[in-house]
Amino acid sequence: MIRRLLIANRGEIALRIIRACRELGIETVAVHSDPDAHAPHVLAADRAVRLGPAPPRESYLNVAALLDAARATDADAVHPGYGFLSERAAFARACEEAGVIFVGPPATAIERMGAKVGARQLMDAAGVPVVPGEAPSDQSDWALAAAASRVGFPVLIKPSAGGGGIGMKVVRERDEVADAVSQARREAQAAFGDGTLYVERLVERPRHVEVQVFADTHGNAVHLFERECSVQRRHQKMIEESPSEALSPVLRARMGEAAVAAARAAGYRNAGTVEFLLEGSGDRARFYFLEMNTRLQVEHPVTELVVGVDLVHAQLRVASGEPLPWTQASLTQRGHAIECRIYAEDPAQGFLPQAGPLLLYREPRGPGIRVDSGVVEGGEISVHYDPMIAKLIVWGETREAARRRAVEALREYHILGVRTNIPFLLTLLDHPRFIEAAVDTGFLDREGDALRALMPVDVPAAALAAAAAHEVVRGAALPGRQSASAVDPFLSLAGWRG
Amino acid sequence: MANLTLRLGAREVAVRTDEGGRVTIDDHGYTVTTISPGVYLVSDDEQRWRVAVADAGDTRWVSVNGQVALVEIDTGQSRAPRRKSAHAGAMTAPMPATVVKILVEPGQTVVEGATVLVLEAMKMELPIRAPRAGVVKSIGCSQGELVQPGVVLVELEHG
Repeated sequence: MIRRLLIANRGEIALRIIRACRELGIETVAVHSDPDAHAPHVLAADRAVRLGPAPPRESYLNVAALLDAARATDADAVHPGYGFLSERAAFARACEEAGVIFVGPPATAIERMGAKVGARQLMDAAGVPVVPGEAPSDQSDWALAAAASRVGFPVLIKPSAGGGGIGMKVVRERDEVADAVSQARREAQAAFGDGTLYVERLVERPRHVEVQVFADTHGNAVHLFERECSVQRRHQKMIEESPSEALSPVLRARMGEAAVAAARAAGYRNAGTVEFLLEGSGDRARFYFLEMNTRLQVEHPVTELVVGVDLVHAQLRVASGEPLPWTQASLTQRGHAIECRIYAEDPAQGFLPQAGPLLLYREPRGPGIRVDSGVVEGGEISVHYDPMIAKLIVWGETREAARRRAVEALREYHILGVRTNIPFLLTLLDHPRFIEAAVDTGFLDREGDALRALMPVDVPAAALAAAAAHEVVRGAALPGRQSASAVDPFLSLAGWRG
Repeated sequence: MANLTLRLGAREVAVRTDEGGRVTIDDHGYTVTTISPGVYLVSDDEQRWRVAVADAGDTRWVSVNGQVALVEIDTGQSRAPRRKSAHAGAMTAPMPATVVKILVEPGQTVVEGATVLVLEAMKMELPIRAPRAGVVKSIGCSQGELVQPGVVLVELEHG
């Protein structure tokens, strides 16, 4: 078993991994940038090492500093979490070469799935359905236009490297191809240093359904069913759930098998996710390979709650050389889970990211409620990193039970000091389209403004009554009291209550 | 008993607080008790609300049932001088951010809507545009600087 693990990440995922390590008797090493010196993940670990200044490339993306930290603390393994270096093949390889276990797939598998065109060909060869399309070796405008015509309009022009929607162009007519190709090539060259393009048929109004897979070093590979992540804004997921209401049992089984085939074809090991686009629903729906995320996903708790497994425990066991703790036949889905990502962003101002102090921070609690967070009251949401504050994950016997539980939990989730997307999430969870599970990946981009207009504008007057009472409690409005800090809120309240 | 004036956006609300956690707003009475520090149970004859409150200068953040609002408070006795609000010709940082690019210099004439500088926060570029036409009077930041919200970045005067 791994003896001492360095966690090359911060925030909620670092804390999540530290907890799993404690449960398994593994010592933990946290790493941090300067502003994170007293961050919750640093305080929770057995040891902590400074990486560098705030900018990620000097701290959490600094491979040399991370390997030095692993050496200095005699760590025998590194967990990359998600984001940062988690999908950099060079980092996985550097760990392998330094004799440190990388808790994740082999560098070769990351490389194979990172190049989009190569991954597409690999999947096609393995019998995994891919969106009909072409990746012409002749990259001239003429050859790409000819490919688009053969595929059939509307098409999507996509860069082979990178992701996140950068350089992707929808082309509906033949005479738009030339402009789209030169623009996509320019953007891909600028963003990824590689202007290679390919053409796919545009799947209209698809759902995003992904399958969790897991493989060990003993030749075993299983899937842990699906997560649906169609609620996304500009490719940023906001709500994830499992099971997907769009899958019939037959389709679910076929997608699970395809995902396992994809993992085997990639020479995969440890936890990964195969993303599919789903066109239509029920038995007649078609699914297409989109890409593989070669890491633990943000939304992994959804699977943990529905399948009843601990994916991080399994990651650490498999990375230590143990066989998978489950067989395919032992895995089942039970009930329904929904995850809401809580972001520091202002939905009223076009989702502008927010930074600032967490003046008050109280998480909801109760049966079936899980909050994975990496912040504390009095802490700060920094401008330097991702604005995700926490993940609220709820479980219920049915989808509707889970949805209501999510609503009630969000209503008692108090975050003051920075604006969050909670008011927007509440509007979304109560929207008829969400209640009916009839949301495709373009829903938020089409309907986001209409949803924002549905957010309540005024708080009830009761909130003002509380603000006034708060003044009395802190003594600010009492004659003769000068300093609020001199007043014990409990003492003054006891007298005040009468 | 104490009287307070609360401002919520353009709305101004007179509030009276009395013994026993009684609060009166527009002749409507509420009773307030503490649930935990900063979190209150507010009740009237029909309903109950759980409200969280936190201080930031003269502003109170409140949240109830997932809704958040900023309330300005005036106790009638000036405690701290109110922060001088930036006038119409001043462009301020909306959030803590790094100054990526300054596109103007003092003395330069700008048209309304012209981008005068670019901030970056949380991997996002944020262009700051002139609210009206004018002449750049001063620049209050430098390239690469981390600026705090409310800091005047560029000041304009009428040309």
